Amino acid sequence: MIEVRFAGFGGQGIIRSGLILGRAVSIFDEKFATMNQNFGPEARGGACSSQIVLSDTKILYPYVTRTDYLVAMSQDAYSTFEHELKDEGTLIIDVDLVRANSNKKTYDIPSTRMAEELGNKIIANVVMLGFFTAISKVVSKEAMEKSIRESVPGRFIDLNLRAFNKGYDWGDKKLSEDN
Amino acid sequence: MDKIIEAFHDGINKSGRDREKMCMVTDIAYDPEVVDYLGVDLFHTNRGRAIAFATGMKLSNPNLILAVFIGDMATLGGNHFVHAARRNMDLFVVCVNDFRYRKVAAQETPGDFSRLEFSSYCSIEQPLNLPHLARSNGAVYVARWTALHHEDLINSMAEALPQAGFKLIEVISPKPELLEFFYLNSEIKHGEDTAKVGIEEDKKIVVGKFVERERETFIDAYNKQHYKVLGDKFIKIAAE
Amino acid sequence: MKADPKNVFTGSHYIDGDVACAYGAVAAGCKYLAGYPITPSTEAAEAFAVKAPYVGAQFIQMEDELGSIASVLGASWAGKKAMTITSGPGFSLMMETIGLGAATETPFVIINIQRAGPSTGVPTSTGQADMMQAKWGSHGDYEIIALAPESPQESFELTFKAFNLAERYRVPVMVMSDECVGHMAEKVVIPNAQELEVEPRRYFTGSKKDYKPFKRDKDLVPWMARAGAGYKLYLTGLTHGEDGRPIFDVKTFEMKSKSLRGSTNRYLVDKIRHNRDKIIKFEEHQTDDAEVVVVSYGISARVAIKAVKEARESGIKVGTLRLVTVWPFPEKRIEELAHQVKGFVVPEINYGQVVYEVDRCSQGRANVILVPHGGAAVHDSDDILGAIKQAATDHNPYDRILEYTTALEREVFGENMVSKI
Repeated sequence: MIEVRFAGFGGQGIIRSGLILGRAVSIFDEKFATMNQNFGPEARGGACSSQIVLSDTKILYPYVTRTDYLVAMSQDAYSTFEHELKDEGTLIIDVDLVRANSNKKTYDIPSTRMAEELGNKIIANVVMLGFFTAISKVVSKEAMEKSIRESVPGRFIDLNLRAFNKGYDWGDKKLSEDN
Repeated sequence: MDKIIEAFHDGINKSGRDREKMCMVTDIAYDPEVVDYLGVDLFHTNRGRAIAFATGMKLSNPNLILAVFIGDMATLGGNHFVHAARRNMDLFVVCVNDFRYRKVAAQETPGDFSRLEFSSYCSIEQPLNLPHLARSNGAVYVARWTALHHEDLINSMAEALPQAGFKLIEVISPKPELLEFFYLNSEIKHGEDTAKVGIEEDKKIVVGKFVERERETFIDAYNKQHYKVLGDKFIKIAAE
Repeated sequence: MKADPKNVFTGSHYIDGDVACAYGAVAAGCKYLAGYPITPSTEAAEAFAVKAPYVGAQFIQMEDELGSIASVLGASWAGKKAMTITSGPGFSLMMETIGLGAATETPFVIINIQRAGPSTGVPTSTGQADMMQAKWGSHGDYEIIALAPESPQESFELTFKAFNLAERYRVPVMVMSDECVGHMAEKVVIPNAQELEVEPRRYFTGSKKDYKPFKRDKDLVPWMARAGAGYKLYLTGLTHGEDGRPIFDVKTFEMKSKSLRGSTNRYLVDKIRHNRDKIIKFEEHQTDDAEVVVVSYGISARVAIKAVKEARESGIKVGTLRLVTVWPFPEKRIEELAHQVKGFVVPEINYGQVVYEVDRCSQGRANVILVPHGGAAVHDSDDILGAIKQAATDHNPYDRILEYTTALEREVFGENMVSKI
């Protein structure tokens, strides 16, 4: 069982990221994925996170307890959720938005900057999803691409796929640097 | 009350509307004989919810003709009154204003203005001006009569029933021994500004047809907008 | 009758429980939804509203929940399958009119995505504390049916089923989901329309003048008629006879005659009680040899499975009984199990509601241990495991209902929290 948390603030597409990953795993990779969203009573604009539990069998407990992957897209998200990351867990951050000081394995990507270069910072989460897919390998690249096709409006599919691949390539590069 | 049902009966006849398609929705109980007499379906809902109940009926079967009889100056359910008027829901609303709750001695409704005899001591509150509330929220037809303005009431009902939109007729109908007093103390002013028709002590009660206008109903607006957005994919609500 | 293919969004979806409820309703042929926005149920109303114009259904955002439920009753009599969707505060506002629905035997569905706490509580967090309100919320005596889904998939299935039950028994049916299931996205597989059996409205087919809105068939359920079709319907919330017209007679409150004429009040409860074996649905696992049975519903039942597995591994003979219909309650089965087991463990996200029913049915033969939860989250399965262990070792029938002290409560309040309720 793998537990993932995407965290940031409202408007960054945090919930959508969770849905795309969950859809990819459960519909296209045919495993089990339960996604839950968290937001405070003041729903919009504030802190926001989505949690996804992935498994080969039916998921009984729908929330994350000790995360394997934390994807943080704001400083607040990092400081709130860093502690629930397993010791052997992986921290993934937007290097421009988060100043991390963690002893856990950390990968960073300038996802928002890359999204801006692609023309719209709103797809930073998709760049991040590509990066996450490459680093974590918990979901197949093909499944993610199919999921993105189903999750975004038609005219934005190409842009989103480019964003995804840009993040994915960055992740591949980071991993090869590691080895 | 019998006077009003009688007027309603004649009003339906005069309007030429189909009784079988007519549903009377009330928030107090009416004698079941009313059904036989009028030849309509009658739904006695819980207090204050008649307008909302009728809204659901109209939206589910646009062919129905909804006549809503309310009895406490739309106090319970006043919000439904305001919003049904605002949406221009196609309802014919009759508010029977008897100033107090008939079977409960000495409790006045918000329509009460009397300092004299209706309540145990007196009503200290300003009476609710329902015609003004209806007009300011977009009702297409607003009138007020006393129960003794029998012919006027029939004509008013016959006139209002075929119109599309939210219609209100307030009928002043206190206890029988006072009816004549109110009838004599009223004056007919058609087209009067509803802001000026509030009932006040020592002033004549203004009756007449205050508002008659056309406005797009909820269902028409809904259909138009959805056709605009969805084109042929839109499926209109139809009777089952 | 098969479902209309136009209404069935066949395929695999990745949607949350709220949306699954909306899709279940559309598949069942629901054509009217009135509601007022309230977290955490808004996603359900939104999903229905998006689909409505494509399937000839109406969504209306009413001025409040009082109006929503009243209009749902009106819609139902006007001939449409109708529902409303709400959460705690809205559910409370609807109570009076639910009574009217029960008294006039109007088929409709209420989806309650339960949230935590009384009053405003925690709008964005889960709870299961409306269960007794669902049963008893309106004044007077009546019976309703309540279902509790444990996943988005079941949210679809049970909402669909709710409409069938409502039509079959002319009764308000409640889908008692909760925020966790409502906001949880999972794969939901919607089958082909041919695989979905829809209960059509049971319209009276005889001559119009013979129609009586509360004249019953042999399973005590009366026939429906459409409004505005010349039946001269008279419908009232006053206690009424089979012609629907009010009667104020002591006989109407207790029907002594064996004939099917007479009071409605008696039938309001009897039509559900007499048919309960057909209505009640629950799932049992490993109860054959069980010494302890975990009785739960909704998300709590799902979380409990983990604890049950661990307990089985450690050698405790434990089984589960998951209530799919919470109301009516499977009294007979609990009573049977009470002869066999040492104890029941009842985890629910409240401080004791359905646990009383379990205790009532076990009649002192078995211990009943409540694993309480204040809401805003789901149980820690370790707490349920602890209660299972306790039920397996202690057996003192005089204890009746015992409240298990959860780890969190021990931390906050200290060791001596265990109390009888």
